[in-house]
Amino acid sequence: MPTVKDYTNNYENKWCPGCGNFGILQAMKNAFVAEGLAPHEILLISGIGQSGKTPHFLECNFMHTLHGRALPVASGAKLANHDLKVVVNSGDGDCYGEGGNHFIHAIRRNLDLTLLVHNNQIYGLTKGQASPTTQREMTTNIQSHGVLNRPFSPLAVALSLGAGFVARGFSAQSKELSHLIQAGMNYKGFSLIDILQPCVTFNHLNTTAWYKERAVDVTTLEHDVQDRQAAMLLAMEWDERIPTGILFQQDEKDFTALNPWLQEGPMLQREYNTDKINAYIAGLYQ
Amino acid sequence: MATDLTVKIGGEAGQGIQTVGDLLCRVCRQAGYFFLAINDYESRVRGGHNFLQLRISDSPVLAPASQVDLLVDLDGVTCALHEDELKEDGLILCRPEQQPERDRVMAIDFAHLAEKAGNKAAENTVAAAVCLALLGAGEELCLKVVAQHFDDKDDNIIEINLNAVRAGFASVTESDLKCGDLLWKEQHPAGAMLDGAKTLALGAVAAGCRVGAFYPMSPATGIMTNLVQLAEHFPLVVEQAEDEIAAVNMVTGSNFAGCRALTATSGGGFSLMTEGIGLAAITETPLVIINAQRPGPATGLPTRTGQGDLLFTLHASQDEFPRFVMAPPTVVDCFDTMQRAFYLADTYQVPVIVLVDQYLVSTTVLVAEKLQISPNAAPIAPAQPPADPASYERFAFTEGGISPRLFPCQSQALVKATGNEHSPDGHVSEDRKNRTAMVEKRLAKLPAMKNEQRPPLLHYEDSDWLLVSWGSSYGMVREAVEILRQQQHNVGMVHLVDIWPLPQEPLQGILSQHKWLLIEQNATGQLGWMLRAELGVKPQGSILQYDGRPLEVDRIVTQAATRIGG
Repeated sequence: MPTVKDYTNNYENKWCPGCGNFGILQAMKNAFVAEGLAPHEILLISGIGQSGKTPHFLECNFMHTLHGRALPVASGAKLANHDLKVVVNSGDGDCYGEGGNHFIHAIRRNLDLTLLVHNNQIYGLTKGQASPTTQREMTTNIQSHGVLNRPFSPLAVALSLGAGFVARGFSAQSKELSHLIQAGMNYKGFSLIDILQPCVTFNHLNTTAWYKERAVDVTTLEHDVQDRQAAMLLAMEWDERIPTGILFQQDEKDFTALNPWLQEGPMLQREYNTDKINAYIAGLYQ
Repeated sequence: MATDLTVKIGGEAGQGIQTVGDLLCRVCRQAGYFFLAINDYESRVRGGHNFLQLRISDSPVLAPASQVDLLVDLDGVTCALHEDELKEDGLILCRPEQQPERDRVMAIDFAHLAEKAGNKAAENTVAAAVCLALLGAGEELCLKVVAQHFDDKDDNIIEINLNAVRAGFASVTESDLKCGDLLWKEQHPAGAMLDGAKTLALGAVAAGCRVGAFYPMSPATGIMTNLVQLAEHFPLVVEQAEDEIAAVNMVTGSNFAGCRALTATSGGGFSLMTEGIGLAAITETPLVIINAQRPGPATGLPTRTGQGDLLFTLHASQDEFPRFVMAPPTVVDCFDTMQRAFYLADTYQVPVIVLVDQYLVSTTVLVAEKLQISPNAAPIAPAQPPADPASYERFAFTEGGISPRLFPCQSQALVKATGNEHSPDGHVSEDRKNRTAMVEKRLAKLPAMKNEQRPPLLHYEDSDWLLVSWGSSYGMVREAVEILRQQQHNVGMVHLVDIWPLPQEPLQGILSQHKWLLIEQNATGQLGWMLRAELGVKPQGSILQYDGRPLEVDRIVTQAATRIGG
């Protein structure tokens, strides 16, 4: 059986001490081990930002791609081989800003991918500018008079697009987060896990303490996880309490199940047959 | 004198001139004729003025002709717009209410005949039948082709269209007007009816392409439409992406996972893909992109043709890395080009850009040569994983710069890649020595890549003057050279098909020892710039056409004759 040690590598970690990413990294390793998956059985695809570096800090197959483009690369890998276990690491800027269009359409496409969005409500790697989820009152070196734009509500957007698995995790609740990741990976279809995460260097508003005061486990509320409208109301709660856990889950056929071209197995396994091509070509000359 | 006849059919968008042209091509094919049909259309769904121009011959057709034998006016404006192209003994076919005052006009009420045949929608079949009757084709042959053409439709629809053919033929039996000297005898077809889009898609399938991702954009969409049709016969999945950025990165993801994958786009979409080209380049993931050029900048002329992207394509995406750029000269060559593109992308783990254009993509020709599957067409298997999987490094330094490639999750060896600069193991590295070594590793592929390049196509290369061109203009320049030689000009041609990387020989030897003229469909002579930079050679002059229309043989002949004669 795989162990957490199998996922440990000696590549130098480049996150700030105390970064919420450490909790997410640990939760990922625990989830993979609990699923009985060895490092060579997982493909991580990440974007750019502190979240994008995640795959370097654990042993596995990965492609650390471009800013905002993790989802298209992951989608392409799944089109080629839908047997792959693909987990995507992205961030609030990467996924909801630069890659916003891909976020929308990856949800609609509903490939069997698990998307982890490290949402610290700030741009870390570029040193503290507002992200799409930064709160309005926050001032930064660029938004020097405070953020004027309304914050992006990822879970509400995902729900409105018909997403079948919508969850919110919290980096300081590693055990719960690990379970969420497992649930997302076992969900047949696109799963979104938006993860609240402090940025100890640049976000002095949404600190661990700030999140802890507000985070409330959705299972402690009276909520039907198959009720999209109720999930929508929970998804939009923020100032007083922030529901965490699986807000919405409903089974439906994913992209692969619906796609007539994929019914005979993953494209990677399909046979290359010169005779068939030659026969087709001969027909053009008849 | 060989048979050489041109039919031009003008109509509004949505009126179905395509159907008329398609039926004409099919009948020509069944009679053993060669042809080349070009589509000239506006960027609109309905209305406007479009035309289809079909040149028919008993030998392979290289280029469209400028003089028309039969002008078919379906929109009431074709005559006025194109009458000056009509030969002296040319014939006009139009509707009665749009009949111009001149000799040799046949006016037919297509709609009325179609209604009598059973449905007004069969108007195009009537028009095609009248055309064919005027060209002297036999009714039986046309009936047979129409029946084949509609064989996937209901019996009722087939019967209406057959009636439409009969009505079309009957309408001209009284007339003694005739056009051309075609002999319509049913024969074994001289080849396959293909256009650039279809041949490119077929080439991709022959190369074992398994994934297509694209965003619709004229004139590249047809390539992906053809790929979708082929997905019904071969293992292939085609996905419409949300934008070209997604399309190119999906294709990179598919290639990374181990499947050959294709995207096709045009100028603006290609601009969006430039970022993704860089990701493929630094992760050394094979990538094949077709850029079907249209005139720009920005939206430019969406449905028209040009060769304005050459230098852009050579440099697209930031910083430096090796790539292939190739430009097939003919429809039939599109098949081989696509197989080479996939083979070279896999072998060298680099981006390959196939540069075509609206002219090549939408031109239909009769291809006599049999499409041959290349011995290198099959997808390349991954490398053997090392005995100790932990020792595997995706970007290991090697003599030729090519590292053993594995696919993720297919062995115990982990495949790690990043768009950041990286050490051989695929982890981010900012180390100074490593950076230099990695740049050199990637560029170390260039000498072998140059050796892969096909030499330029040469005709009469010992002549005093040479016309130098590239890509889809091959047929036009080739025909111009023959005409110039008939006019006693000592002219040959050098035509580039593999543009980049550019091997020095034989080009430098030839171009430094001859007088030459550059022929391109752009305004600044981009190939000339490249040849001057790479080989230090300079043309005596250039013939540049950048009106968005196919290169005109007459223009090349006139301008070249002036330069050479003077």
